[in-house]
Amino acid sequence: MELEGMEEFERELKQALERMPAPPGLKHRLMVKKQEQFAMRRRRVVWWQRLAVAAALICMLAGAWTWRNAEQRREGEEARRQVILALRITSRALNQMQSQLAAHNQDVQSQTRTGSLNEQE
Amino acid sequence: MKRRVAISMLGATLLCATALAQSSPLQLPTPLEKDLAARASNVTEVTLGKDMLAFAAKFMNGNDKNDAATRQLIEGLDGIYVRDYEFDKPGQYSLDQLESLRKVFATPEWTPIVHVRERNSGETTDVMMKMVNGESRGMFVLDAEPKELAIVLILGPIRMDDLGALKGLDGLGALGAVPQMQQRGAKPNTGAKPGDGKGGTQ
Repeated sequence: MELEGMEEFERELKQALERMPAPPGLKHRLMVKKQEQFAMRRRRVVWWQRLAVAAALICMLAGAWTWRNAEQRREGEEARRQVILALRITSRALNQMQSQLAAHNQDVQSQTRTGSLNEQE
Repeated sequence: MKRRVAISMLGATLLCATALAQSSPLQLPTPLEKDLAARASNVTEVTLGKDMLAFAAKFMNGNDKNDAATRQLIEGLDGIYVRDYEFDKPGQYSLDQLESLRKVFATPEWTPIVHVRERNSGETTDVMMKMVNGESRGMFVLDAEPKELAIVLILGPIRMDDLGALKGLDGLGALGAVPQMQQRGAKPNTGAKPGDGKGGTQ
């Protein structure tokens, strides 16, 4: 009785450990699934890379634009300062001339006054 | 003084590229220019062509009274060219040199408006206007003081109204007097001739 039970167990064990052929198309399915997983992982990496490159480009462009703006502003302020300087020098020269004219007019007036006093005497 | 020289040099350097790109119509005799620059303790050069003036005008705030008036004036101009030489002591330039500077603009298109000569100090100021069809198209100012020589050339249509608007502004007051000066200059000669040793107007 006990022996029969052992034989039965051995037979079942043999059946369970018997080499069975893989279902047809399993290898192909596995390969396809693996490729899909790889492609998905790759797509995710590429997407992040593209995002990082785009962010870097945007930062670079924004930096260049800000620098160009600051540079233009600096040049514009310098040009403006030069205009004011040029007009100041011109104004100072004309001011000098006006003072000379005023002094000349005073001279002429005093000479005229002296001349008329002499005539009265 | 050294600081002023440094600032002037810096300003000149900053606009060097622009200045080189624009050929300055203020063509002074080269030996004379070099000689004056060599003797001067401080040289200020301003070379602003039409493009540079338009660029500068963009940076003049329309809300600021001074800026708005200056902008109005420079917007139509073709250029502003200035040479200002400061000397440590008097007598660093000769009357002949002054005369050769005047000769640069002694052409029919330039009309002398004012010539003033101070008898005691020997200071002289010349103002000439370039007239085209009765309109002023330029102004040349030569101001010679014992220790300073200023040469100013403004090209382009100078609107007298715009100059007049600068009359009340800080540091630019004398520009407002140019319209009256021009009217006076149109009258016959009322004073001493240039270089006769007396103060006078022409």
